[in-house]
Amino acid sequence: MAEYYSSFEPQGTRWFLQRVTAAFLVVVLAFHFLLLHFVNHAAEITFAGTTARMSQVGYFATMVLFLVTATFHGVNGVYNALVNQGLEGTPETAVKWLLVVASVLLVVQGVRVAVAMTTLV
Amino acid sequence: MSTDVTERESETETEPEAAADAASRPGSSTQQRQESDKRERSAMRERAERELAESDRTVELEVYRYDPDVEGKADPRFDTFPVPFTKGMTVLDALIYARDHFDSSLTFRHSCRQAICGSDALFINGHQRLGCKTQMADLEWPVRVEPLPHAEVRKDLVVDMEHFYDQMEAVEPYFRTDDLPSGDLAEQRQSRQNREKIKMSTRCIWCGACTSSCNIAAGDEEYLGPAAINKAYRFAMDEREGEAMRDHRLNVVEKEHGVWRCQTQFSCTEVCPKDIPLTEHIQELKREAVKRNLKFW
Amino acid sequence: MRQSYDRGPVEDFGRWREFTAGMWAWVFHKFTGWVLVGYLFTHVAVLSTATVDGATYTATLQGLEELLVVRFLEVGLLAVAVFHIINGVRLLFVDLGVGLEAQDQAFYAALVLTGAITVGSIPTFLGGI
Repeated sequence: MAEYYSSFEPQGTRWFLQRVTAAFLVVVLAFHFLLLHFVNHAAEITFAGTTARMSQVGYFATMVLFLVTATFHGVNGVYNALVNQGLEGTPETAVKWLLVVASVLLVVQGVRVAVAMTTLV
Repeated sequence: MSTDVTERESETETEPEAAADAASRPGSSTQQRQESDKRERSAMRERAERELAESDRTVELEVYRYDPDVEGKADPRFDTFPVPFTKGMTVLDALIYARDHFDSSLTFRHSCRQAICGSDALFINGHQRLGCKTQMADLEWPVRVEPLPHAEVRKDLVVDMEHFYDQMEAVEPYFRTDDLPSGDLAEQRQSRQNREKIKMSTRCIWCGACTSSCNIAAGDEEYLGPAAINKAYRFAMDEREGEAMRDHRLNVVEKEHGVWRCQTQFSCTEVCPKDIPLTEHIQELKREAVKRNLKFW
Repeated sequence: MRQSYDRGPVEDFGRWREFTAGMWAWVFHKFTGWVLVGYLFTHVAVLSTATVDGATYTATLQGLEELLVVRFLEVGLLAVAVFHIINGVRLLFVDLGVGLEAQDQAFYAALVLTGAITVGSIPTFLGGI
C-alpha cells in the first residue's frame, strides 16, 4: 500500500467502513435472529414461508444489503487480524486477493440464492 | 539460595581483567584495590545477613538473569534474593539492595528514582511498571522482576530500546511551526484550553512500558506504537503549530502501520505509569484523520 | 521488537493470566468474529439448496433442525453473535471516544448480558425436538 495519491487514504477508508457496516449489522443481525428464531422458529421454516418474506421488496433489499455488509465486515476483519499478526509482502498480497475473490463469490452466490427465494423475478 | 552461585560468577568475571591490568602495570595498586573490593563485598554480605536477621519481614526478589557473554548465564534463569523489607521500599530499592549486598553483576537501568527519567520500566509480577514507582507493599510476594517483554534483552533487566526510540523519532517529536509571531521578542502563546487538551500527552517519559504491553506492536514491527502516537498527538493537537503542520502530522500517523493498527485493547492505558489516556488519544487521531479525509468529498 | 531467542515465561504462559478487561474483550471479539465469518459462508452454502427447488430446501433445513447437535450449535451461535453485537456496540462507543473510562465495566456487562440472553433463549432453541 504505497500509493497515497488519493486524498481518501485507503487505510482510513477501510477503518471507517468497518465502523459504518458495524453500526448497520448490529441492528440487522439482531433483527435477523429475532425474526428467524423467536418470531418464526427455525425448525418450522419452509420454502413457502421464506418465499413469502423474501418477496417483499424492503425485506429482500435489507437481506441483500445484509449479505454485502456482513461479507465486507467479516472478510475485512480477517484481513486486519492477519496484518496485525505481521503478515506482509507477497503472502499479504496473495491473502488479500484470495479474500477478495472469496467475498465476490459469496456475494454472487448469496444474491443468486436470494433471487431463487423470491417470486419477484 | 542461588546467590552463592552468582557471587562466584561475578568474581570469575572480574578476575581475568584484573589480572591483565596488574600484569601491564606491575606493582600497581590494582591488587590492593581488588583486595579491598573483596573485603568490602564480604562486609556488605555480612551486613545483609545481620539486617536480614534483624528485620521483621523479608521479601524474596526473583530476578531474571541473562548474559550472552558469560558462561552459565547464556540460558535465562531466575535468581532469588532475600531483601529485608522496610516501610516505603520500592522495587527499585529492593533491586539496588540486592545488587549492592549480594551480586554486583546484577544489571538494570535507573537514574532519577522519581518516575521522571523513564529508565526503569520493568515487568514486575506480570505487569509493565516503573521500578521506582512501585511499592513492594502493594505487590504479591515473592516479587518477580523481568525485563520488558517484546524487546531484545541485552543483559539481565536491560533491554534494547533502539527500536522504541526509532519509532519515537519517526513522528518528529519536536515543536515546529510556520506560524511565527510578528515581533522579534513576541512569545508563542498557547491558550489555556489548548494546554489542558494536550496536558496529559506531554507527560510521556519514554519508558516504553506501553509499547511493551501492546499486542499489536509485538506482532507488527512497523507499527508506531502507543508512545509514538501519543507524541504525535501532543504536537498535532497543539494549535500553535498551525494547519499545515497539523496536516503533515496526521499524514504521518495515518499510514498503514499508524493509528489504524490500534485495536483498542487498552493494555497501554492500563500500564502507563504517568496515567496518560493513550487509547483515547489514538482514537481521537483516528477520528481526526477520517474527518479530514471526508471533507474532500 | 521481536525476540530472536526464547524468553521463557516472560513471553508465553505467564502472559495471558495477566490480561486486563480490554485485552480479553479483544480476544473474545476476534474469536467470535472468526466464528461468525465462518458461519456466514456455511449459511449461504446451506441456503443454496433453494436454487435446486423448494422441496429440497424445506427438507434440508428441517432435516438439520431435527438434529440435537444442530440445536446446541445454534445456541452457541446465538451466544457468539450476541457477544459480538454487544461488544461491538462497546467498541463503537470507544471509537467515538465516549465513556472510555467505563470500557472495562462495559465488557463485564457484555459478558453478563450475553450469558443471560443465551440461557434465556435455550427453551426457544430446543423447543419441539
